Amino acid sequence: MVTERNRVGTWVRVRGSASDSAGEVDGWVLTGLLTLHPTLRLSQVPVNSELGDADLENIDDPELRRLYAVPVISRVSAQMQLVYQRGRLLGNDSRVVTKVGDSLTADPLYLTVLGREDNELGPFDFLVETMVFFGPQTGVESVAARVGMSTRVVFDPMWTRNALCEPNETPLACEYRLRRPSVALIMFGPNDVLHMDVDAFGSGLREIIEESIQLGVIPVLSTFSSHPESQVWEKTLAFNLTIVDVAEAYGVPLINLWSAARSLPNYGLEGDHVHMRHSGYRYLKFDIGNQARYGVSLRNFLSLRMLDEIRRTLGMS
Amino acid sequence: MSMRKRHQRIFACWLLACALISAGCAPDEGDPAAVVEQYLRAKVASDMNEMRGLLCAEMENLLERESRTFETVTNVEIQEMACERSGETTVSCSGTIVAAYGAENTEFPLTSYRVVREDDGWKWCGEA
Repeated sequence: MVTERNRVGTWVRVRGSASDSAGEVDGWVLTGLLTLHPTLRLSQVPVNSELGDADLENIDDPELRRLYAVPVISRVSAQMQLVYQRGRLLGNDSRVVTKVGDSLTADPLYLTVLGREDNELGPFDFLVETMVFFGPQTGVESVAARVGMSTRVVFDPMWTRNALCEPNETPLACEYRLRRPSVALIMFGPNDVLHMDVDAFGSGLREIIEESIQLGVIPVLSTFSSHPESQVWEKTLAFNLTIVDVAEAYGVPLINLWSAARSLPNYGLEGDHVHMRHSGYRYLKFDIGNQARYGVSLRNFLSLRMLDEIRRTLGMS
Repeated sequence: MSMRKRHQRIFACWLLACALISAGCAPDEGDPAAVVEQYLRAKVASDMNEMRGLLCAEMENLLERESRTFETVTNVEIQEMACERSGETTVSCSGTIVAAYGAENTEFPLTSYRVVREDDGWKWCGEA
């Protein structure tokens, strides 16, 4: 039986008699890899808040160790309450969440599927309210998410592609003005790592965070998955650590997608080692554990889980 | 021919030569549309030196970003560009910049641009 789960919900502790051995089994398993009883609701399972998201015991490399040590879903700091309140005063809509990033983020099956009525959350019943809260507003294409977008060109008006945007308006500014979001899910790196150094990347990220905070938008950063066989593997680690550093410096929420994706086949990536793999479903299907197999499903799951953390912490209603 | 007439002819030739030389040195001075086209071509080529001379002073600090607009895409080219002056400080362009990202193309339609007069010439100064 399932006796407890981790805070995120991605791992459950299973205890019981094994059918093929005399002994008892007791261990932590990825939730998505189990065939769970259809009536199981993770909201009813006790949460083990002490459990880390990664076992650091056998990781010697200091960079890897730092990356693994970052929680998959961060807590929401008190500063974000102030950002949220500022946004409300500026006219931002609590129920609007937008996305900012490159082709991985522009992916039509990322985030926009939260509003579908045929989503199957399976045992993750505690996420339903948040999906209903944010989902209906997620179907709109983001001006700030586009193939080829980077932390640099998100400030370049030539990359703004929407008739409603004003002359000289950057993609980021236009998206925030048009949508008035309370939260922005931001992921850069897979594209930037090929074209700029880590200092320029950090500088761009900070600029995005500062503009978001100034406009009362809670910026949620995310690390990105990378493959050890990639030619830029070492550089991806440095970029991901920069994302972690920037998130910590500004106290903004962080999704550690890199860490969560370590347990997925091919790290949740396509054969190009850049883009995330799709499940084939055009809606959320967590009841069969897609989030434990496919990168896009995992990212949707973690984004929803982070939105849940934000909504509950800030009392959004 | 008298000495006086000879000097007059030499002076007239000198004046004509000066006029021709000065006109040849600044062919775009009176044509902001040509400056905009020149700037867009330089931008597509990521030619920072060329762009520096065509960018207005208020945007000088954005030169590096301007020169890296297309750094994440490949095979960048301008298609069917046609620019013409549409206001005192405005140039409107038709045409598209097309670039490739992996197997797919991404487009950047040309629009209207602001131009300002600086250093006795027209400079590109962002979108209008």
